[in-house]
Amino acid sequence: MRKSMKLLALSMLALVLVLSGCNFSDSSNGNSDSKDGSKDEKKTLKLSLENDIPDLNQVKTTDGISFGILNNIMEGLYRLDENHEAVPAMAESVEISEDKLTYTFKLREGVKWSNGDPVTAADFRYSWLRAIHPDTAGSYAFIIADYVKGAAEFVEGVATDSEVGIVAEDDTTLVVTLNEPTPYFLGLTAFVTYFPLNEKFVTEAGDDFALTTENILFNGPFTMTEYDQAAGVKLVKNDKYWDKENVGIDEVSLKVIKENSTALNLYEAGDLDRVYLSSSDIQSYQDDKEFGTESKFNSWFVQFNLTKAPFDNVNIRKAFQLGYDPEILTAQILNNGSTPASGVVASGMAGVDGKLFRELNPDLVTPNVEKAKEYLAAGLKEIGGTLPAIEILTADDTIAKDTATFLQSEFKKNLGVDVNISTKPYSGRLQAMRDDAYQMGINKWGADYNDASTYMDLWVGTPASPLRGHYSSTVYNDLVAKSKSETDEVKRMDYLLEAEKALVVDDAVIAPLYDEGKAFLQNAEVTNFTIHPYGAPLELKYIKKK
Amino acid sequence: MKKFLAVRIVNILVTLFVIATVTFFLMKLLPGSPFDEEKLAGLSDEDRMEFYARYGLDQPVAVQYAKYMGNLVKGDLGISYYYKGQQVESLISSRIGPSALLGAQAALLGVSIGLILGMIAAFRHNTMWDFFTMFIAVIGVAIPNFVFAALLQYYVGLKWGILPVAFWESYDSSILPTIALSMMVIALIARFMRNEMLEVLQQDYILTAKSKGLSQMNVIIRHTLRNSMIPIITILGPITVSLLTGSLVIENIFGVPGIGSLFVDSIKVNDYTTIMGLTLFYSAFYILTILVVDLLYGIVDPRIRLTGSKG
Amino acid sequence: MTNTNLEKYEVKETEGVFREDSFKVVGAKKESQDTIARPHVGILKESWLRLTKNKGAVVSLVIISLLVLLALLGPYMNEYTYEQTDYDKAFQEPNGEHWFGTDKFGRDQWTRIWEGTRISLYIALLASVLDLAIGVIYGSISALVGGKVDNIMQRIIEVLVGIPNLILIILLIMLMKPGIFTITVAMVITGWVNMARLVRSQVFKLKSQEFILASRALGASNGRLIKEHFIPNTLGLIIVNMMFTIPSAIFTEAFLSFIGLGLQEPLASLGVLINDGFEGMRNNFYLLLYPTLVIVGLMICFNLLADGLRDALDPKMRK
Repeated sequence: MRKSMKLLALSMLALVLVLSGCNFSDSSNGNSDSKDGSKDEKKTLKLSLENDIPDLNQVKTTDGISFGILNNIMEGLYRLDENHEAVPAMAESVEISEDKLTYTFKLREGVKWSNGDPVTAADFRYSWLRAIHPDTAGSYAFIIADYVKGAAEFVEGVATDSEVGIVAEDDTTLVVTLNEPTPYFLGLTAFVTYFPLNEKFVTEAGDDFALTTENILFNGPFTMTEYDQAAGVKLVKNDKYWDKENVGIDEVSLKVIKENSTALNLYEAGDLDRVYLSSSDIQSYQDDKEFGTESKFNSWFVQFNLTKAPFDNVNIRKAFQLGYDPEILTAQILNNGSTPASGVVASGMAGVDGKLFRELNPDLVTPNVEKAKEYLAAGLKEIGGTLPAIEILTADDTIAKDTATFLQSEFKKNLGVDVNISTKPYSGRLQAMRDDAYQMGINKWGADYNDASTYMDLWVGTPASPLRGHYSSTVYNDLVAKSKSETDEVKRMDYLLEAEKALVVDDAVIAPLYDEGKAFLQNAEVTNFTIHPYGAPLELKYIKKK
Repeated sequence: MKKFLAVRIVNILVTLFVIATVTFFLMKLLPGSPFDEEKLAGLSDEDRMEFYARYGLDQPVAVQYAKYMGNLVKGDLGISYYYKGQQVESLISSRIGPSALLGAQAALLGVSIGLILGMIAAFRHNTMWDFFTMFIAVIGVAIPNFVFAALLQYYVGLKWGILPVAFWESYDSSILPTIALSMMVIALIARFMRNEMLEVLQQDYILTAKSKGLSQMNVIIRHTLRNSMIPIITILGPITVSLLTGSLVIENIFGVPGIGSLFVDSIKVNDYTTIMGLTLFYSAFYILTILVVDLLYGIVDPRIRLTGSKG
Repeated sequence: MTNTNLEKYEVKETEGVFREDSFKVVGAKKESQDTIARPHVGILKESWLRLTKNKGAVVSLVIISLLVLLALLGPYMNEYTYEQTDYDKAFQEPNGEHWFGTDKFGRDQWTRIWEGTRISLYIALLASVLDLAIGVIYGSISALVGGKVDNIMQRIIEVLVGIPNLILIILLIMLMKPGIFTITVAMVITGWVNMARLVRSQVFKLKSQEFILASRALGASNGRLIKEHFIPNTLGLIIVNMMFTIPSAIFTEAFLSFIGLGLQEPLASLGVLINDGFEGMRNNFYLLLYPTLVIVGLMICFNLLADGLRDALDPKMRK
């Protein structure tokens, strides 16, 4: 028996040795780099990713982390600049027809893939068709199919690819025809799903496409030299990039660190150049010179279910809408750069004539406890007496849970109403809302492009969707439809402004909460760090480091 | 013995089949789908079904099950829904390395320290030694290991700078997570070892051995240790499996690209193929370990018959 | 009775007064020839006496009682309730007003900790009772009956362990109303497996031991074997294992709450408080410290008490 125990112990030891031998393969490169002494010349940036990298196949992927990486190793016709405006990238210029339906892009001379092949108009056509073809598409197909002429029919299978409004006239000319005038279309071409793909390369890679660094081609400011879904990526400046003179960093490592406190420790140890703070750490750092906040077009709101008592009554909805002050939530609980919202469209979103959408549609909802109580009394009279038990549905992440706790306590304090919280995992919450199993739910929507229609499209209820509270209003639908076909920018915006008023003020379908922000610490030597509030957030091209 | 093994292997296959079946149907009852993104959630039911159809998810569960089992027999675990395009086999094999290394090290460290602590406590029963070792054992289970891990990281990694704070880059990176993981093992083993030793030490044959003039060391090794091993081996099996298959919390804290978080994440995002692959991997591993434990019983204690029928 | 007789006898011996009429032949009693055990002493009473002699156990018992008392009364010892928010007083370090400080909503941590202790204790108790009931019975049946039954029962365990807990738990919580009872049931579904396996292996070991054989040879019934031999001889192991069930129950519950399947805000258990405290441990360590102290205190006392119990109940320790 002693022998067998020894054997067991020895085999365990052997296992440890074998495992430790085959594990840390990346380490040797990493160490030799720093020993070279070339560190002074090389500008490196060390960042972290909050989660695994699910998928770098640009036509299928759907998550912010993959978007962020792809945005820096690839490039579309346009790219968002430091002020989040679309500027020509792979395209040199564009001609827009009078009716604003035809876009003729002229590609830049000499733009190349990382294997030396030129980037052509055909690459864009191939990629875009791939992004909407049912066999290859992911759930972001809509972002092309909704706009390009004939694309929706192609998705349905009733049109061939030649009927889709994407034509490569020659190697450097791409003509795109749209269904409706879309003033934000150039911004869309900066989005990941609109990036090009080299057909020959993709065909050769087959099923392995985008699974390893060898099976993906780059045309962006960086190339990827290491890729491990669970560990992270390493990016190196792309010397074939057309604008490489303006890329300030030589090497970027993005490592997966899921735990907030770990990232903070790494930042303090000098192993990271930037770290996001969790709400409980913010207080201690907010006077720090390395502290900063950023905000995204990610609006949080309460969705009322218009078919479930008591929220089938508009006065009760209004009472709940006015019965709390989101500013207390953002300033004292979240405390992370989130800004209180008074409508559903994110407050930084563009409007018209250089004005923001929110500036044109200010203060839709102003918290007012007295008024809320009046509405509640009126509503109670209409429904005949008492409120049923009320439950608020929320996802299980810290921010959503904190928001729910805040609302619960405010409704109790201000309206004297008891509300229970029902926390569900991410997909559990979505499923519950889709299945109509909720009264009010905490929801959010992140903008894909810088235009209010990314929000207003959601509540066009034909048919009414339980996820959107069964809202179906002819007034609202008309306004949104008119905005689609309107070529005059000012009038188009007016329709959208009216639509938001109908949704938020008249019908009180949602109650605004806040635009999500994030607090971070950043190495003082790093400047020009850009996080886009919509689309693919991470932008490494413009970063400078001392 | 051969017959015993043959029977057990057939049993194992049947058990795995039952587990696969039950898990498959339970998993399909989970709320949501692999494509639960806000973007898709807004689609009409019709459009969503159309999207599911591309993945064969619109078919009745029984049909999906038959298809899955068919592929499984061929050794094909399918392609992940979340890590799109990734074969589940390669997903598991690329993640298991770090977890297994940490697990093996933690098991080795935990068991050896645990055994020693347990023995000290038993031989110095009701002394300060006993109290002190048991205090450590209690702390090991009472303080959640993520707190312990975070403290290790903060002091050893950041304040004293002895070992890396996190990341998975060199052998040094594995030391702190190993220690954090082994706390629970130390506590468990020490606790059980002490209890068993105390019991064994009261047995007559120990007295006999002692009275026959056997040295203290010999008594410990030949009689006490061996006879205390049964419950230890029983709990060691599941512990090893759970250690080798990764710990969500420790992996997250130390930024280890292991398999622990894959499991929880795959359930949360309804990544059906990955859930199934990991379940099968985990249960096969577990059942085999139990088999090994049963074989070890026989070696450690010849009185236990392998047929298990007569005892 | 035996004890008292012996004492009398000893007394006489020391006195050293033996007369012829001190002894008389009573002869064998027919009816007592079949009896093989010594007469029953009140096991519980005797164990209790022995337990009270163990200092550690007594102190632990006192501390546990104190903590239980605080769990019951603590929330009413100041004017705050566990759900009352006050955003102006968020993240206050412990002070005269808030004895254990406040959390990010400005809720009184003292009140929340004792509310949480109450919930955690309840969950731990429920989990270990179920663990005990199911695990011990399952394990002993499996080992005692043996053969095919044992085989099938072990396969069932393998299947249960093979299916990911999280799937079972999520489903169960979807089916039943979320709440403390559901959480406990979810944890117990597979929580008893280890106990069953331990008891089974221990009973197997015992079955082949000489004193069982002797007892059986003397015609002891199965029921008697279980009552007199198997239970007392596995008790130590069972108690030790239960000591691990309690913290793991508390932390499993915390994990469930963490992923949104457990207690719903504003309710909190010790595990949830520790999880929350962990998030802010860098800058608000007190939020982690106090609930951890309570849990560690509880655990240490439970363990010392369990050790005392084990010794007190152990048949071999009887005098």
